[in-house]
Amino acid sequence: METASRDWRTAIPSENADRRVLDEFVQRTKNASTEVHRVHGIKESIKIILDIANGMKAKTVVAVPGTLLDESGLIEDLKHAGLQVFTSKEDIASHVDTADIGISEVEFGIAESGSVCQHATEAVSRLVSSLPPVHVAFMKSERIVTGIQDAIDILSKGFDSGYVSWLTGPSRTADIERVLTIGVHGPSRFILILVDEAGGKGVQ
Amino acid sequence: MAKKRNLRKEINEKLHDEVLRGALGRFAEAYPIARAKALENVEDVEALRDQLKETKRYAVDHIEEIADRFEIEAVKRGAKVFRAATGKELISYLINLCKERAVRRIVKSKSMASEEIHLNDALEKAGIRVKETDLGEWIISIAGHKPSHMVMPAIHLNRYQVADYFSKELDKSIDPDIAFMVQTSRTTLRDEFLKADMGISGANFGIAESGTIGLFTNEGNARLATTIPPIHVVIIGYEKLVPSIKDTVPILRLLPRGATGQLMTSYMSMIAGPTPCLVQKNGRWEETLKELHIILLDNGRLAAAHDEKLKEIYQCVRCASCLNVCPVYALVGGHVYGGQTYAGGIGAILTAFLGGMEEFEQFNELCIGCRKCVTVCPGKIDIPGLIEELRRRSIKEKGLPFIMSRIFDVMSNRRFFHGLLKAASIAQKPFTSQGLVRHLPLFLAGMTKDRSLPGIAAAPLRDRVDRIVKPIEKPDKKVGFFSGCTMDFVFPETGENVIKVIQDLNMSVSYPDRQGCCGKPVAATGDVEYTKKIAKNNIEAFEAVDVEVIICACPTGVEQIREYPHLFKDDPEWRDRAQSMADKMKEFCTFVAGEYEKRGRLKKAVKSHNPLKITYHDSCHLRRVLNVHDEPRKLIESIEGCEFVEMKDADKCCGMSGSFGVKYSNLSIPILKEKMKNIKDAQAEIVVCACSGCMVQLQGGIDQQAPGLKLKHVADLLAEHLESKNGG
Repeated sequence: METASRDWRTAIPSENADRRVLDEFVQRTKNASTEVHRVHGIKESIKIILDIANGMKAKTVVAVPGTLLDESGLIEDLKHAGLQVFTSKEDIASHVDTADIGISEVEFGIAESGSVCQHATEAVSRLVSSLPPVHVAFMKSERIVTGIQDAIDILSKGFDSGYVSWLTGPSRTADIERVLTIGVHGPSRFILILVDEAGGKGVQ
Repeated sequence: MAKKRNLRKEINEKLHDEVLRGALGRFAEAYPIARAKALENVEDVEALRDQLKETKRYAVDHIEEIADRFEIEAVKRGAKVFRAATGKELISYLINLCKERAVRRIVKSKSMASEEIHLNDALEKAGIRVKETDLGEWIISIAGHKPSHMVMPAIHLNRYQVADYFSKELDKSIDPDIAFMVQTSRTTLRDEFLKADMGISGANFGIAESGTIGLFTNEGNARLATTIPPIHVVIIGYEKLVPSIKDTVPILRLLPRGATGQLMTSYMSMIAGPTPCLVQKNGRWEETLKELHIILLDNGRLAAAHDEKLKEIYQCVRCASCLNVCPVYALVGGHVYGGQTYAGGIGAILTAFLGGMEEFEQFNELCIGCRKCVTVCPGKIDIPGLIEELRRRSIKEKGLPFIMSRIFDVMSNRRFFHGLLKAASIAQKPFTSQGLVRHLPLFLAGMTKDRSLPGIAAAPLRDRVDRIVKPIEKPDKKVGFFSGCTMDFVFPETGENVIKVIQDLNMSVSYPDRQGCCGKPVAATGDVEYTKKIAKNNIEAFEAVDVEVIICACPTGVEQIREYPHLFKDDPEWRDRAQSMADKMKEFCTFVAGEYEKRGRLKKAVKSHNPLKITYHDSCHLRRVLNVHDEPRKLIESIEGCEFVEMKDADKCCGMSGSFGVKYSNLSIPILKEKMKNIKDAQAEIVVCACSGCMVQLQGGIDQQAPGLKLKHVADLLAEHLESKNGG
């Protein structure tokens, strides 16, 4: 599913694994009302997700695992914790409208705007990030570009057809009296989990 | 034919609409701050705006080629592309498609192009259920309104009104609680998304090299409309196309920042070709490839692309920044200041090129010409300039209304006009006191509420110059003085002061008596022939005197005389003569500040114990056409015993703008009131400006709302200082 860039090793300059770019990114995602967590290895995130699930008495989860989640065993852990987790296309299609939490993976972040880029050609990755009231997205913490220009440079090489979305905070509107209201057609909570990969060049 | 509007009545209604005034007033306050904050992390905003402008200019100059490439690439990826010359063609394509695919239910995410061709009405007439899913669009669709703003279509309604419309639509009582109503729209429209057979979206950009379309939304409705239904139809105007993905960078960086003060909208999607979707067949979910139709809408756009002037509208990204800073929009909103679909000044232009010239004629005069919009437009569109261009064309085609042509006959006949103004100074006698007209006959009453109109001076400047002008033996420069009508007939003392300040620089002053109106009031209505007649007279007048520099202390005069060469672009002889006059033309503050600087006189004066507080009002044209900001402030600061205080929104229009202030006095007065508030809040004793048009307006406001405050032109301040220095 990672096709926004064909070669991540060269797509992001190594100096971006600099504390400042990450800090800037985290600050801007928070400014856009994204809830940001940082974990060392996916396993650490199980507690975060269970806290969210307990807080909202969630029962059903729809998830589109990518390379990060596939190997982590997170889905199994969630099932063991008593949540109903759907991952096949057919199951997601049947349950996404009533599911409490959607889980997906996103490819890279943009510090300038606090956005994350999701390669979303598969309909299910858009559905799980749009329909449930809570969307949890996983991203490798090393994959952050500085500016919108850099993000477009990456897409200009890797995106030729299909669907790409930039997500910047939860769904929102100010259409009545310009009063900011969170959660219209999309999720009212957008939770981003930044994963420092074990052995990867994650930010120290 | 466009319906005849009664603009005056519409304006008065909106001025009394407390909901609208409150909403727009608060927004006008908040917007500039939000925009500035969003642009904090853009290194060079001007360069980015230039980049957007150049990208779009390239696109419009190669539009056919880019559209062909877009079509080829989109088709290559599996989309169907249809080019609709008119709204009618688009509608019939779409209705056919709906019939072939048995489409009964449609969800729409926002598309201004579909509003422009009244698509929803046509679909509903064909028996198809169509629902807008953007909250604002949904509200106005159930209210039966048209959008009053491009980004916030329902800004004219408050929560109580929205709750009433919701209650009627959903046939149950809905509480006027915003969060609850948003939740209600989520539930109601969720069902529409899930059951829809087709999703229709607009597009914020189209990328030719990959046949991609781009969408910005905050609510997430566009993602759903393009994901759930098995058919996706995109309606995109030609002006949205750019050659490559790299050309989207300035759009991505400027559109959300300008539109809502966000660094990025919640969702930005790029779609290239059809993508998989999940459909239910016989109770089972199956994955199939979506059907993607892209309709390229012309509807006047391609003709505009080949129009040397009007092609500038391709630089518009529909962010509505221009509306958000417009003083007239802030008072009456987009239903009055707007056409059927598009609001504000940009709306007037879009209305005209979409074939609604008659509609344009009915509301374009509401552009006050203050040019504030030009300073924020991401594509740097000269909105007031394009409106003037369209006015010129309309007059060329139809001629002036009879009464206007009579007035211009008078204005271009110098002797008669001046005689008339002098006669006015006698005829108005019963109505003046302290030089201001206080009571006018009843039919003019609207003009004088909260503002006095100036009286015509008993002796105009032209009858006074002989007393002031003195021979200078070895002048540093020989200066001609072009006063303009207002300084000549309303503020002759200021004219005298201009002469004094120049003579103090050891320069000689000539005031040719033949000079007349600069021609701006006529040019603004679009009448080129009368403007030329006026220009020729002034050119001849100044050719008759031996001067190196011509000074004007009214920015509009400077601007207009610099326009003369363009008037005669097809007449080489007059063009050269006009150019020679334009080259000599210097604005008073800029000229004097430059000369003071050379003489070491522009230094900040030493702080005195009990200084006279002075604030400065920027004239729109001095600030934004001639780009003069520092010079008048430095001149004020150079005067001993004075303290300069900056007022809030110093460069916001005072509401005069030539004849606008008289013709639309009901709009002009509230704009003036805000200006007067900012002046009073600065707690200065004197307000200074450098434009005789603003002086008319401000003097009127001071007389009625702030007696005791003094108004002076920069020239008055300087001359009085010279006198006190020399005398004392």
